[in-house]
Amino acid sequence: MFKGKLKFIVAIAVIALTVSYLVYAGVKDTMVYYLTVEELKEQVPDVYDDRVRVSGIVVPGTITQNTGEPLTFTIKDGEETVDITYEGIVPDIFKDDVEAVVEGVYTPDNIFVADTLLAKCPTKYESTDSLYQEAAKDGGQYKEGKPY
Amino acid sequence: MVEIGSISILLSFIVSVYVLAASLYGAKARRRDFVKSAENGAIAVFVLLLIATGALLYLLINLDFSLKYVALNTSTDLAMIYRITSLWAGQAGSLLLWCLVLALYTALVVIQGRNKNRELMPYVTATLSVVLIFFIFIIGFVESPFEKLPFTPSEGNGLNPILQNAYMAIHPLTLYLGYVGVTVPFAFGMGALLSGRLGDEWIRLSRKWALVAWTFLAVGLLLGARWAYLELGWGGYWAWDPVENAAFMPWLVATAFIHSVMIQEKKGMLKKWNMILIILTFFLSIFGTFITRSGIISSVHSFAQSDIGPLFLGFIAFILLFSFGMYLYRSKELESENQFDSILSRESAFIFNNLLFLGAAFTVFLGTIFPILSEAVVGHKILVGSPYFNAVNVPIALVLIFLMGVGPVISWRKASRENIIKNFMYPVILSVLTAVVLVVLGIRDVTAVLSYALCMFVTVTVFTEFIKGVRVRSKRGENPLLAFTRLVSRNKRRYGGYIVHLGVVLIVVGVTSSSVFVTEKLVTLSEGESGTIRDYTLTFNGMEQYTTDAKNATKAELSVFKGQKDLGVMVPEKNLYKYEGNREINQETEVALRSTFTDDLYIILSNVGPDGTASFRVIINPMVSWIWAGGVVLLLGAIVTMWPSGRKKREEVFIRYSLGEKDITAKA
Repeated sequence: MFKGKLKFIVAIAVIALTVSYLVYAGVKDTMVYYLTVEELKEQVPDVYDDRVRVSGIVVPGTITQNTGEPLTFTIKDGEETVDITYEGIVPDIFKDDVEAVVEGVYTPDNIFVADTLLAKCPTKYESTDSLYQEAAKDGGQYKEGKPY
Repeated sequence: MVEIGSISILLSFIVSVYVLAASLYGAKARRRDFVKSAENGAIAVFVLLLIATGALLYLLINLDFSLKYVALNTSTDLAMIYRITSLWAGQAGSLLLWCLVLALYTALVVIQGRNKNRELMPYVTATLSVVLIFFIFIIGFVESPFEKLPFTPSEGNGLNPILQNAYMAIHPLTLYLGYVGVTVPFAFGMGALLSGRLGDEWIRLSRKWALVAWTFLAVGLLLGARWAYLELGWGGYWAWDPVENAAFMPWLVATAFIHSVMIQEKKGMLKKWNMILIILTFFLSIFGTFITRSGIISSVHSFAQSDIGPLFLGFIAFILLFSFGMYLYRSKELESENQFDSILSRESAFIFNNLLFLGAAFTVFLGTIFPILSEAVVGHKILVGSPYFNAVNVPIALVLIFLMGVGPVISWRKASRENIIKNFMYPVILSVLTAVVLVVLGIRDVTAVLSYALCMFVTVTVFTEFIKGVRVRSKRGENPLLAFTRLVSRNKRRYGGYIVHLGVVLIVVGVTSSSVFVTEKLVTLSEGESGTIRDYTLTFNGMEQYTTDAKNATKAELSVFKGQKDLGVMVPEKNLYKYEGNREINQETEVALRSTFTDDLYIILSNVGPDGTASFRVIINPMVSWIWAGGVVLLLGAIVTMWPSGRKKREEVFIRYSLGEKDITAKA
């Protein structure tokens, strides 16, 4: 009887240990720091060649894409900006003024080489601001241009 | 209409509170009249919420922009079908739908359980009404779908174009039915804890509900994956995004639950464990709603962010404390009736299945909340991405597939050497053979070879089970087809479950092939030029612009050949929506897709140059369609398991089934 119980304990321990090891190894190998542009600049030169994720607002007019060449653009966060090059699929929502999240490596020639690009829409999603602006433009029922 | 809607919600809130009070009082004081009145109340809540939903639909269809929800989610150029689906495009509308679905489930549970299980049912109704009260409170007093604007805009913001897709119309609805459906088995579990009727009653009564929720979650996840694949234009279908994980976690734990309840039914074991599993499943379903609705974890899916987050946290804390408190209070009475005999037995296969499903759910949970955890502990936001989730979950999944082959055929209690040899010889031989053939064919990816071999293992065990059953029946003189249908219809749970397993095998084969053997290439072509990828040749015929009411579209035409075979023309598009409003997306990539059972050719028009050249991202994704086919098989199997049968017949079958089991053990 005891021998049977022991087998269960060993098997459960093996499963628990394996899963924990997978978690440990997975986190260790794949974790990336999520930095703001300012934090990225502060950590120069230590940050060079580390894999990091950075987010900022796309500076209008900086997006250039020539066929067959990588996409380049600049993101801004506070006063600091960083130039990005990216090759890969560009999300539909990526455009001027959206919040872009890039993952990759900041190189010593101060260009961030990204292999992942996500675009996020800031909280304006369910905001009524544009409805108010629209109404103000029409000069219709609503004139203040600001919610009361 | 606005008034009808908001009054209905208010009334449904009041009635829900009454349902809670009346069913609790009725149960305590043994007053049938109160219990009955609470049951009628539960049905009334459903009718009231149906009216509220109808009112909102009416306003959406007629584009009444004076309503904030309508102005935010629709516009005059929106097609009728998407005016209807915008009911669940925004925050308040989805929460209203959430309430409606929960009220529907509650009404069905009440109607089905009338005059039966009198001790248990009032507490089940009470638990369901507590959850309803919370959600109705939110739409009634915090995020009302019937909030008016102080003015009437002439145009609304419109619906995000990527949500204007048939899959997006049904995927959220399916997921809600799954998410919310989890509440029903949870309510039965809580009913058991509250009433003290801790036998198998609650398991027996809630088993089908758990299967319903599980099936909707599974189908909802697959529909979401298909939507992402067709619409998002990055060539994949699963990204371990927090929102996807949010639905995946309750599914994982629910899977553990629907397996481990069988052990309780058959052996009277794992009673405590089942209670814990259903509490966890419900917690994860509410937690999932919290993640998607609060915006606490940044996701590429942009959901509305709002201040209902703290409310949800409070509700989660209440649920966890109350249900685990009740569990501790009753835990003495939840003792097992049997013991585990041997590690080589069906019971222990189920134990390991449970442990691994829970382990997977835990690792996904950890990965999802890692940014929050790390920020709290070390002060830095640290992310783990897809590589983490894959590294952890692929090995777990492989062992689970192995157990999927072992579980159904290994004998109960203790498997003898003869039993193991008899049942596993052919499956093992065939799967080893599969592995050898694959390696000889030049496949060197260890994960892929293992995955295919294990899928073969499961397939062979399942088919052997079917063949065995049919053969026994044909010996009695039934023709094989009749024998097969009778076999399945007399043992729906067992053989339906096997069909679900086959569906899972198809999905695993599809996922393995498409993630290991994907080919991706960026080609830039000028008019008349050709490019090749694998054995496909693409010739760029030129570009064309066209305009509709809603958009300016650019389409690129490509002639496609596979080897010498002409596959016709494929046309990826890039659309620019005219009316921008406040939509954050005004352009949309329309993927051109040619799907076969061997591979998918997936073409994205990524960029158009001023000189008439165009860049295409071309992806060859092997066997993706197996995933969708697997989903259909899974759904069929689930329907077979849930198909109703006469009560008497079922009991008869049950006895025969367990006798059959004993026979096998005895013979072996």
